[in-house]
Amino acid sequence: MRWIVYLPLLLPITSVPVARLAADHLAPRRVVVLLTALTCVLALCATISLGLLTVVGTAQLPGVPLPDHWSDPQVRASIPNVQVIGSLAGAALASALVCVAIVSHRRRRALAALRAGVATAGDTELTVLPTGPPTAFALPGRRPRIVVSASMLARLDADERRALLAHERAHLSGRHDRVLLVATLAMCAHPLLRPMRTAIAYALERCADEAAARVVGDRRVVARAVGKAALAGPVTPRGAMAATGGPVPRRVAALLAPTPADRWPTPWSRPGAATLIALGGAALSTWATWDAAIDLHAILLTADHML
Amino acid sequence: MTESRAGGPSARRGPGELESEILSLLWTSPTAMGAGAVQEQLSGELAYTTVVTILSRLHDKGVLQRARSGRSYVYAPVYDEAGLAARRMRQVLDKEGDRQAVLARFVSDLSTDDEALLRRLLEEGGS
Repeated sequence: MRWIVYLPLLLPITSVPVARLAADHLAPRRVVVLLTALTCVLALCATISLGLLTVVGTAQLPGVPLPDHWSDPQVRASIPNVQVIGSLAGAALASALVCVAIVSHRRRRALAALRAGVATAGDTELTVLPTGPPTAFALPGRRPRIVVSASMLARLDADERRALLAHERAHLSGRHDRVLLVATLAMCAHPLLRPMRTAIAYALERCADEAAARVVGDRRVVARAVGKAALAGPVTPRGAMAATGGPVPRRVAALLAPTPADRWPTPWSRPGAATLIALGGAALSTWATWDAAIDLHAILLTADHML
Repeated sequence: MTESRAGGPSARRGPGELESEILSLLWTSPTAMGAGAVQEQLSGELAYTTVVTILSRLHDKGVLQRARSGRSYVYAPVYDEAGLAARRMRQVLDKEGDRQAVLARFVSDLSTDDEALLRRLLEEGGS
């Protein structure tokens, strides 16, 4: 239980390159699988290592209901500054749990309110909002729904409306909301996983776009639907962004470009190297967490024997 | 535009999907439509009887109202219930935090740069 226990707290940084590069170089479904798996591993390891630090670090604080011998000098000596770091780790773990609680609560509340609203409109897959600004979204649940405002429908022609419906249907049938929830909760566990959540959210939109393109049989129709829908919405003045633009122009550009190749990148390409770095980070993180847990166990066993 | 998809994958559509498509069509129509007009405007080959069946099912579900026109019916969306639903949902939709709690919307807001870029993309390749 030395510096190794801190590794899982640093290693999420290895996911930053792949979060930036994957979306533009890999087929969207592969991006979702790869990034979600990496995010889960990194978040889980970071949380466990915070837990280990908290347990060991706070064991000697008065009032903590843990076996007495955990505050043994041998246990204490095995981690430098254990008390300060233990308290910090405890605070970090607590804030992660609060974040998880807030995210889940908000989601449940919003879904319940939206479902209640939709229920009044009748038992159909599509609910149209007669008033309000152009909007469209998928409402997951046991009876999945698609909600679109009339102002959005009015901007699109028949083919584009089919593309929009197919896009939202792909979100629902793929349970994309759950993937996004997992990514959001992982971000609670470690703030450095935020770029991963952004990349996963974008990849899910790209998945739904490509699914819609397969349904309507023309990727340009989907590009037009996405573009027109975005142009119907509000435009917020913002500072200059990357040359590729925000998510909507990127999606449209991706749909107008040839279909992305459905294979993993070669290791010597930039996205391939980024993937390897992140995979290495996740593997190292897993090993470090395992090692630290074994170490803690050994320390406690020793402490037991000394009594 | 319609000929680009001749015999395309539009033939395979579930009843729920057809309902949504017909409902969205009626919402964009300024006037009530009969089954023939709906059939004409829908992409893909749909039997007239299929359209009639779906229209009457949507009427049974309370989302379409109908009126006699000659020997058949014309259909229009029911605004009251939908308006009530909209009002109930407005609160959630207006709150940014809550909106993000649900799945992302079809499109996110654009920046001014995005808008220019998007217009150029659509002009170049969107037709």
